[in-house]
Amino acid sequence: MRNDRSDRLGVRSVALVGQPNCGKSTLFNALAGFKANTGNFPGTSIRYTRSLVSVGGQSLEVVDLPGTYSLTPRDAAEEVTRRFLEQGRADAVIAVLDASVLSRSLELLLEVLEMGLPTVVALNMMDEAARKGVEVDPAALEALLGVPVVPTVATRGKGVVAVILKALGQTMRPGSGRPPTYDRDVEESLGRLAAEVPPGLAESVGRTPRSLAIRLLEGDFWEVQRLGGHPESAGLLEAAARERRLLAEMHGWPEDTVFGSHRHAMAVDLFEKVATVRPRRRRSRRERLDDWIMHPVLGLLLAVGVFAGLFGVSFYFGNFLSEVVAGPFDRIVEAAVPGADRGLSASLIRGFLQGVSGGVGIVLPYLLPLLLILSLLEDVGYLPRAAFLVDGLLHRVGLHGKSVIPLILGYGCNVPGIYGTRILESHRDRVLTALLVPLTACSARTVVILALVGATMGPWWALGVYGINILVTALAARGMSALAPGQVTGLLMDIPPYRLPPLGAVAKKVWFRVREFLVQAWPILVAASMVLGLLEWMGVEQGVNRVLAPVTTGLLGLPEAVGVTLFFGILRKELALVMTFQALGTQHPAEVMTPVQLLTFTLFLTFYVPCVSTLAAQVREVGPRWTTVGVLLSTGIALAVAAATRLVGLWVA
Amino acid sequence: MTLSEAPVGSRVRVVGHERPGACQCASAIAAMGIHPGDEIRVIRAAPFHGPVLVEVPSSGVRLALGRGMARSLIVEPLPA
Repeated sequence: MRNDRSDRLGVRSVALVGQPNCGKSTLFNALAGFKANTGNFPGTSIRYTRSLVSVGGQSLEVVDLPGTYSLTPRDAAEEVTRRFLEQGRADAVIAVLDASVLSRSLELLLEVLEMGLPTVVALNMMDEAARKGVEVDPAALEALLGVPVVPTVATRGKGVVAVILKALGQTMRPGSGRPPTYDRDVEESLGRLAAEVPPGLAESVGRTPRSLAIRLLEGDFWEVQRLGGHPESAGLLEAAARERRLLAEMHGWPEDTVFGSHRHAMAVDLFEKVATVRPRRRRSRRERLDDWIMHPVLGLLLAVGVFAGLFGVSFYFGNFLSEVVAGPFDRIVEAAVPGADRGLSASLIRGFLQGVSGGVGIVLPYLLPLLLILSLLEDVGYLPRAAFLVDGLLHRVGLHGKSVIPLILGYGCNVPGIYGTRILESHRDRVLTALLVPLTACSARTVVILALVGATMGPWWALGVYGINILVTALAARGMSALAPGQVTGLLMDIPPYRLPPLGAVAKKVWFRVREFLVQAWPILVAASMVLGLLEWMGVEQGVNRVLAPVTTGLLGLPEAVGVTLFFGILRKELALVMTFQALGTQHPAEVMTPVQLLTFTLFLTFYVPCVSTLAAQVREVGPRWTTVGVLLSTGIALAVAAATRLVGLWVA
Repeated sequence: MTLSEAPVGSRVRVVGHERPGACQCASAIAAMGIHPGDEIRVIRAAPFHGPVLVEVPSSGVRLALGRGMARSLIVEPLPA
């Protein structure tokens, strides 16, 4: 079992395990350069990220596993972590503990040690613990558990190298520490149960008989289900139920928490031995900040203000930058290929230049401030607080608790929003949320709104489009949840302390996302621009436009030329914007479209078929059938909203 | 009484869960740091019957519990 793990890749593998928002991904990035997404928001990492790093002349694979509160998983993201560890794919584990909530972190560490994996402890967030008045003695913890303990401050890269060197040592001389023993009666139960485990069964699921017995005493749902398939384990499951009842009776605790309570007591005991707490007399400044930010009335007003500010800053800064960059590009395009030249090479060159200029002159100026502010909000810890405030409102539209997290992520980019649905426990909530996320105006659609409506009609109109987007998303949620009434699973969310991210980290994160745009999206933009140039030259474009005309001009009253751009918008939303400029033959759409047409078109673009990356994520998460439903739904909504806009426009005029 | 009835600013002790075993709420709440016997403080409540924010002073854990979750947690008041 243990041998095939490293031989498979030829490199040793070290996995980072820890509770959500304990700084695993920050530690990972400090080791591997910026590769994993981070944020002061529990559940930022839903999938695992791996990277090869070189330590002391040796190659080592480091794996950043999704955060989990315990190894008894409750959702799909946590299940990823547990399965990874059970399959023996890690040669050593770095257990990342958040020193500021040490006793809770210790419970997970005890579970890891119980699995018998070679472990190193990274005692992270020592600075935050100190701020809370908690002093932790790493040497005492090391002595009690028998595994190396290294204090770290991952945000500043402190202790990172030491941790990885210790982990490397563990892969070569595995030692799994000494998990403390439980009370005598618990140990007796465990002993009896472990003796009942049929030979070979524990090993076949990557465990020792003792650790399997622990899972069963805990009433681990996954484990029980999995063993239910083995005919020889019927007796074992019966014995487990018997021991659970026995323990519950003996201690007067309910069956499903009796074992967890013992581990909790053990963790508290450890905590008291290794930490000293100085009671604070005053509430810290950061805590008092919450009196304003999480205030029922002021907080909500502030949330509206924050998102309007995000929008406004992106708009003004984007406009400014866009004019600075796009103006000279226009002149270059005109100088290189005069508008009258309709030859093949002129069409291709014009497409190329327009794609290049669209990327840096139109999309990037709006995207850059948007990403910067979103990153700051994410890292400071504002988003969970916003989620706290709007959860009650979301309940009114039939969405429950945690759905707010994927939806908020969706306003940044739909793809992580879709993956974020994994933190939802029920299938109904996952499907519902995965269908709603593509309706949210992601940063690419926000760029479209800012450039098509904001730049031509003013920022308030753009904000209005954004408002309509939120309203329609809420109505869709209301309608869908009425069609599929489900059981309420409540919100249960960590509220992390405010953290001031080092500026370097914010800059790296923004650069990570900008680079993603430059490397992945921009070439597509340029290529698609050239394809459009080619289609124009061949005259195919007009054919496509004519086929779509009943919808574009007939139903929505738009210029026929925008038809073909809708196809490009499915590749990427920014593409629809750049293509529109190209198809209309101007960088100033207000010259050829009326305000009502601009609004109608923009609203249609924000709602119709999501981009291919989002569709791919949807297919992965909820399957092709629901993805199709989602496409039909969003197209229907897009048509209805756009047609309604046109009607209102006609009526007003 | 249940946590959802505890006034903001009050201190309470966790007694147990309504309908233990009916959902995985009990173990979920425990894994996130609130156990029977713990003393917790109700810090604030969100508008529109939203979640309540509680703190476990002994461990420094701060959690937002939706109203449904708060209703499933049985607590007893502690003197202020």
